[in-house]
Amino acid sequence: MAAAAQLSLSSVKSGYGRVKVIDDVSLTVATGEIVAVIGRNGVGKTTLMKTVIGAVPALSGAITFRGVDVTRLDATRRARLGVGYVPQGREVFARMTVAENLALGMRVGDAGRTNLDRVFGFFPILAKRLSQQAGSMSGGEQQQLAIGRILAGRPDVILLDEPSEGVQPNIVQEIGRIIRRLQAEEKLTVLIVEQNLALIRAVADRCLIMDKGRVVAEIAPQELDDPETAARHLSI
Amino acid sequence: MELSGQIFSWVYQYFDNMAFLLLAASGLILIYGMMGVINMAHGEIMMIGAYIAASAFHAGAPAPVAIVAAGVGAGLAGVVLERLVIRHFYNQLLSSLVVTWGLSLIISQAALLILGPSIMNMPTPFGSFSVGGFSFGVYRMVLFAVAVALIVAVWALFRFTAFGIAARAAMENPRMAAALGVDTKRIYTLTFAIGCALGGIAGGMFAQTATISPFFGQNYTPMAFITVVMGGSANAILGLIYAALYLAGVQTVASNVFNPYVGYVSIMASALIALLVMPAGISDFIQRRRARAMER
Repeated sequence: MAAAAQLSLSSVKSGYGRVKVIDDVSLTVATGEIVAVIGRNGVGKTTLMKTVIGAVPALSGAITFRGVDVTRLDATRRARLGVGYVPQGREVFARMTVAENLALGMRVGDAGRTNLDRVFGFFPILAKRLSQQAGSMSGGEQQQLAIGRILAGRPDVILLDEPSEGVQPNIVQEIGRIIRRLQAEEKLTVLIVEQNLALIRAVADRCLIMDKGRVVAEIAPQELDDPETAARHLSI
Repeated sequence: MELSGQIFSWVYQYFDNMAFLLLAASGLILIYGMMGVINMAHGEIMMIGAYIAASAFHAGAPAPVAIVAAGVGAGLAGVVLERLVIRHFYNQLLSSLVVTWGLSLIISQAALLILGPSIMNMPTPFGSFSVGGFSFGVYRMVLFAVAVALIVAVWALFRFTAFGIAARAAMENPRMAAALGVDTKRIYTLTFAIGCALGGIAGGMFAQTATISPFFGQNYTPMAFITVVMGGSANAILGLIYAALYLAGVQTVASNVFNPYVGYVSIMASALIALLVMPAGISDFIQRRRARAMER
């Protein structure tokens, strides 16, 4: 894709205290592109996502979002610039209702009611569960809420951290279709960390392979059809 | 003295005692429930509110205006305290206890230096009425009504408004709230300020029943503290209500059967016993029992 870079990292290092987890990562995601980050457990995929959204500070390097250097901005400012995050484990506000979770998502955008209807178009179940406590929903429903909550704020880039985890296969397929639709209809840019081969194959334009805090290779998603390649790069 | 008067007197005292606990503890429990900080300087915030209310009143402001001014002034004091000190001690219960206790000493001693040991007064409005040969002050019932109104207002603020939703999100999961664009620092500052404003209003209300001195706050901090610890942080507002219902009941019975001193001590004793049974407070205890009942 020749489109402008929506998100780019150059020589980013980060970690927790003195423990460096991300050791020199550079990557670029173009507008409307879906890039998967794969690799075994503990190579730093989740920390990479947290560094991009600003929950973990970058120790060095630069993160730019639509040409704006956000490296020194906190998570709140980055969210307001249009970076949406769906964390591993979903992290919906369990003690709050579906409607309240969605209202929180809408805060960052100038979104109104029509925007919520758009979210319900993708996830009809949310419209039926507005007054339910988010914590009492199933894993798949919570995942839909976590993604719907982010879409409600109309982000330009979303980061998805293992959206298939703890979600039944038919919902995983549905999430894959929705990600594709968002790309096609709204030119949404997506950086996704995933272990689920079917979901990666369904959505990714290209795959970055991480190992020991670095991006060590890039492959086309089709290459994962080879069982040996898949076994080498995914923790199955 | 008639029996009807005797019975009414108990009921009146029960509501009076409850009003005292609800007003003194409402701001404190809000801050504890939302941010895991027990502000031992809450009594001094009330003292600031009492001085502001009395000064405004003596400068010619009507009492309701003086009390609103007390709330605003105490809220602003809260913003300053939060920015300078409290911010660094969120969710560190023990450190925050020590630090805010230090703040309470500094504020009361500073008031003593600046204002001197002299005392101020505000008249008690509304007069009294009598039932069965007993005389009762109307203002004590106004205190109760104001306490209830404040608690309903705080509940509605956190239940329905955009600020309230963001504040509850920041309390449940600050990192995720920030990732959704919620400015958690600003939310904490505002929540602390609202807690202090409640303290200021309470101070302004109590200024009309008690003499105001630099150590005014010491009359309220221990009781407010006990009420908050008993209520627990699982559901701050319900906890406050349960704790006030229970402690005011014990106090009313003990001070009538024995004397007011025993009534005061009985609050401490009954809180101690309750906390042995419910170590995380009443609201936590009730939530757990409900959860267990749901599982069956």
